[in-house]
Amino acid sequence: MLSVVAARPAIRAAVIATYVLLVEWSRALVSTAPHVAMAALVLGGAALVFAGTGWPLDRLGIGRSRLPFRVLGGLALAVVLLLPAAARASAAPILPAFLVLPAIVVSVGEEIAFRGALYAALEDFGGAPVAIVGSTALWTAAHALSHPPQFLFAVAAAGLLLALWRWACKDLVAPIIGHVIADLAL
Amino acid sequence: MRRLGLLAGAAAVYLLAAWMVAPGFYDGFAPQQPYNWVCPPVHVGGNKPPTSGHLDIKVIGGVSDANVAYTDDGQVLIDFLPGAFDATGKTSISVDIKPVSPCPKPPGITFATNTYVLTADAPLVKKANIVMRYSDIIPAPSTVYQSTSADGPWQSIGALSESQPFTVDTTFDKFGYFAAGYPSNSVSHGGPTSQLLPIAIAVLIVGVLVAGIPLAIIRRRRGAGEMEDADDQDG
Repeated sequence: MLSVVAARPAIRAAVIATYVLLVEWSRALVSTAPHVAMAALVLGGAALVFAGTGWPLDRLGIGRSRLPFRVLGGLALAVVLLLPAAARASAAPILPAFLVLPAIVVSVGEEIAFRGALYAALEDFGGAPVAIVGSTALWTAAHALSHPPQFLFAVAAAGLLLALWRWACKDLVAPIIGHVIADLAL
Repeated sequence: MRRLGLLAGAAAVYLLAAWMVAPGFYDGFAPQQPYNWVCPPVHVGGNKPPTSGHLDIKVIGGVSDANVAYTDDGQVLIDFLPGAFDATGKTSISVDIKPVSPCPKPPGITFATNTYVLTADAPLVKKANIVMRYSDIIPAPSTVYQSTSADGPWQSIGALSESQPFTVDTTFDKFGYFAAGYPSNSVSHGGPTSQLLPIAIAVLIVGVLVAGIPLAIIRRRRGAGEMEDADDQDG
């Protein structure tokens, strides 16, 4: 069974896509229950990190080569992601302190799942265009239960930007840094 | 160069999309239901008025039932234990939750929620738990305040550990007026983010530019070195 999944890129991409979607939707639903929000967020984030197991780090876009460039890219992505909120700071939500750890785990998990494992699986299946469009579409769908519909266009645009960085720079470190900073700020 | 152009284009699309919905990129951890304000903050558009709540609690064998009273929009929820009321001579107890208008603005306190008046036709003999939801676009309240009148005086009754994002809860033993907020001198007007976030972004921009220049120079030198090596090999 595992060998079939590993040997067929389409099946592998479908399995990863289904897994990350189910994790994200379950996390969104469970985290609304009283007293379990933090646990649901941390476990959900960890389950997303699990999507990256079995992939070589370089296929996920993780590595130490060009590290200053990757870190700087992450800071630049954070600037772009946060610029609209900074320009209208009075309308920005404030992350409660107890959500700091969940925010880090979830943002790292989402990057490894969507721009890491899912991107790599889709790239194997149909090349970079399929990986960029597919990972962005699934990222947007994954946020459908946790965000009001009017937010989804911005979510999709953020996903497209991060996926394009992943493609253009073959790097996941910068999207992880940018995503973590953005989630911690809001 | 084409990749850089696509990235710049994607950034522009994102900035446009994020500008259309405040606050833009927001990886919300809970479904964001807009808060219904009696007195909405100036930057809130499309506000709906908050709703009231009513509950009739059965009294069986002289003991009031456990039950939960809540407003229809879910912004206030009160949890009553069995026997929470002095139910002497009653067959049921009526509980009401109503948003208060006009909004009380006591000196020295900033309310982060609507003020609600809680009433019942029997006094409490056991503490009840109140959960108040607050908006995700304002500074989080640090405590729940209670008063016997909309005009005050307001007394902090504390806040328990947060069980849910964007909610604050505590216990109380007397009905009256309730609102969640914080001492005005503890948080600057507009909230800490209104000052910190733009400063942090400005520092990040400067940092990226300052650190980016040497990286670009190194990259260019390497590129030139590789070209020279190629020329030497060609010659």
